[in-house]
Amino acid sequence: MPRLLKKIHGDWQICDVAEISWKTQEEWRAGSALQVSVDAEPAPGWLDASSIAIEFPAMTDGRGLSLAVLLRNRLGYSGELVARGSVHQDIAHFLARCGFDVIELPDEERLETALRWIDPHTGYYQPSVISRESALNNAS
Amino acid sequence: MYQYNEFDRNFVNQRVAHYRDQTERYLQGDLSEEEFLQLRLRNGLYVQRLAPMLRVAIPYGTLSSQQLRALASISNDFDRGYGHLSTRQNMQFNWPALEDVPDILQALADVDMHAIQTSGSCIRNVTTDQFAGAAADEDIDPRPFCELLRQWSTSHPEFEWLPRKFKIAVTGATFDRAAIGVHDIGIRINGSSEQPENALVDIYAGGGLGRTPVLGALIREQLPVKHLLTYTEAIMRVYNRYGRRDNKYKARIKILVRALTAEGFKAQVDEEWAAINHEQGAVPAAELSRLSAFFAPPSFAELDNAGELLGTQRLENPAFNRWMKHNVHPHRVRGYSVVTLSTKTTGMPPGDVSSDQMDAVASWADSYGFGEIRISHEQNFVLPHIPQDKLYGLWQQADAVGLGHFNAGLISDMICCPGGDYCSLANAKSLPVAEAIQRRFADYDYQHDLGNLDLNISGCMNACGHHHVGHIGILGVDKKGEEFYQISLGGHAGHSGESPRLGQIVGPSVAREEVCDVIEKVIQVYLEHRFVGETFLSCFNRIGILPFKESIYAKAA
Ligand code: HEM
Ligand code: SF4
Repeated sequence: MPRLLKKIHGDWQICDVAEISWKTQEEWRAGSALQVSVDAEPAPGWLDASSIAIEFPAMTDGRGLSLAVLLRNRLGYSGELVARGSVHQDIAHFLARCGFDVIELPDEERLETALRWIDPHTGYYQPSVISRESALNNAS
Repeated sequence: MYQYNEFDRNFVNQRVAHYRDQTERYLQGDLSEEEFLQLRLRNGLYVQRLAPMLRVAIPYGTLSSQQLRALASISNDFDRGYGHLSTRQNMQFNWPALEDVPDILQALADVDMHAIQTSGSCIRNVTTDQFAGAAADEDIDPRPFCELLRQWSTSHPEFEWLPRKFKIAVTGATFDRAAIGVHDIGIRINGSSEQPENALVDIYAGGGLGRTPVLGALIREQLPVKHLLTYTEAIMRVYNRYGRRDNKYKARIKILVRALTAEGFKAQVDEEWAAINHEQGAVPAAELSRLSAFFAPPSFAELDNAGELLGTQRLENPAFNRWMKHNVHPHRVRGYSVVTLSTKTTGMPPGDVSSDQMDAVASWADSYGFGEIRISHEQNFVLPHIPQDKLYGLWQQADAVGLGHFNAGLISDMICCPGGDYCSLANAKSLPVAEAIQRRFADYDYQHDLGNLDLNISGCMNACGHHHVGHIGILGVDKKGEEFYQISLGGHAGHSGESPRLGQIVGPSVAREEVCDVIEKVIQVYLEHRFVGETFLSCFNRIGILPFKESIYAKAA
């Protein structure tokens, strides 16, 4: 069974999960798991997916972060959001704050590093998908 | 200036801890060269031709005396006793050891500083007018808005992995000393410092230098300042999603703006902004007042202008008189002046400062100027609030340690990148050219007669030395393996009050030995054609490039 990093009831954990059969945008239909590329345009139909994965072509490709924010904040998608592909353990905390709740990484060591640094700060300067709190709002 | 609170301190300390762990994993072999590169860049660490280079953020160029002393001791403890003032108001150390960087970052965090996002494809240090809060021509102090943007952009979860680096500049004065026209986003704030929440902002996007120089387009006028962050978010999101990632030379926002046209880009940003809940994301007025309070004027004394005293001192000492003329600028408060301490002494690389000089500047800031220091994008120190009756004493001390040169704004006060001596991307050396020009034009009366003249030198088309916006620009090029220099004329960055413009290339490039002669010919043409009191730039605008071309490339008779 593959192991990955998953947020369960607000807590990130490394766990075993069942293999998911991802479908591309062309093959996909309501109720199945949808995998999209970072340059996809979000569509309301996606709300019917059992799970959505965004595939990162490179660790430095930030498009997947914006896409995740749009899924969460614009489309109102509240289901499982998975980061796949060239995902890096040191970027996991950005993924988490953009609304991903599952992160795939190739090995145990990377999973552990990602878990260790999933929330490197006790507070952040700007609100995010997962928290309305920020240094800016604290002032008022 | 802005004072860190517990939140900010925790944040930078936690950032150091994270980076220390990344460095350790790299040194143990758990992170590849490639992976670590991306992580270290976001903490300002480059690996250069001779050694690593660490770029320390000096937010919008503002620094306390305590911070400058800390930079001086870092340069002694971890480097070779000097630092380099960059054209983006930062300080660079050229010889730190990679293993020491976490300790350097901790030393910075201990004085409320960091190197976060000073390199890499992310939002960089926000820059502004080096005279902010002091300049006589200022409408509104830009620094509270810079600090707002600094905080908002720090480790922004969505915008840390952009197609390319991203630079924001802000101005609130009549004369734009921040060069907002050549930044990815340029922000002009309109309003008054008493009511920051009522300010209105004009937003330019898509400017930049580098190999495709472009002036930014005005995409939003008179936006209420509470929407500054959401509007910036809209721009960043459009850029992050649609900016090119296939070719790094086409990845800056300027290429996207050009591809969509300014109107098309604006339409897309406006559409994105309309979809953001921008009332929820509005900056609360209380937050703007909180930030503005940090930048309230220091407790200025009730002074009179020291005209008479200065008059006597200037008469007695011609060198002081020169310095007064060029390096001392009008302050908004009676009895005070703004001082530029030039780093452009012949023989020293422009922007290089020793730890002793840093300590000295810090002590003058303490004795005379409320402990405040600025760094200008022209790579000089600025002491923003000096009582006029202290100017003479300050100048004497500055002159004794090589910081009392009279040349602010003159031809020898050039902007110059490190070039082929340090930089692995260079086509040609730039420092020896700068020095040769300084030697050729050393004569004061000659320089003074020429008046304000921006001469900018870059060692390659990456344009770190801003050659496109120099009145005279010099660009190092490679011609069949040999170092040549291309000259451009008539550029300017916008600080003379006109909107910025890119220089025009005057003709075929020339060899290093010829550069000084060519510059001299350019200046001769100006001297021959100018009206009384006409600046180089106005003269160029009137007569065009042709007379210069003819003089430079005239066949020897
Ligand atoms: C020492 C090695 C350096 C390297 C390898 C380097 C590299 C680069 C590159 C590749 C660019 C172009 C980026 C682009 O167009 O997308 C650039 C731009 C720039 N660099 Fe440097 N740089 C170095 C040092 C410096 C220094 C010391 C300064 C300050 C004095 C500086 C200031 C700038 C500025 C202001 C730009 C902006 C031009 C623009 O807006 O495109 N750089 N640099
Ligand atoms: S302009 Fe070119 S040579 Fe000069 S520092 Fe930048 S990259 Fe290096």
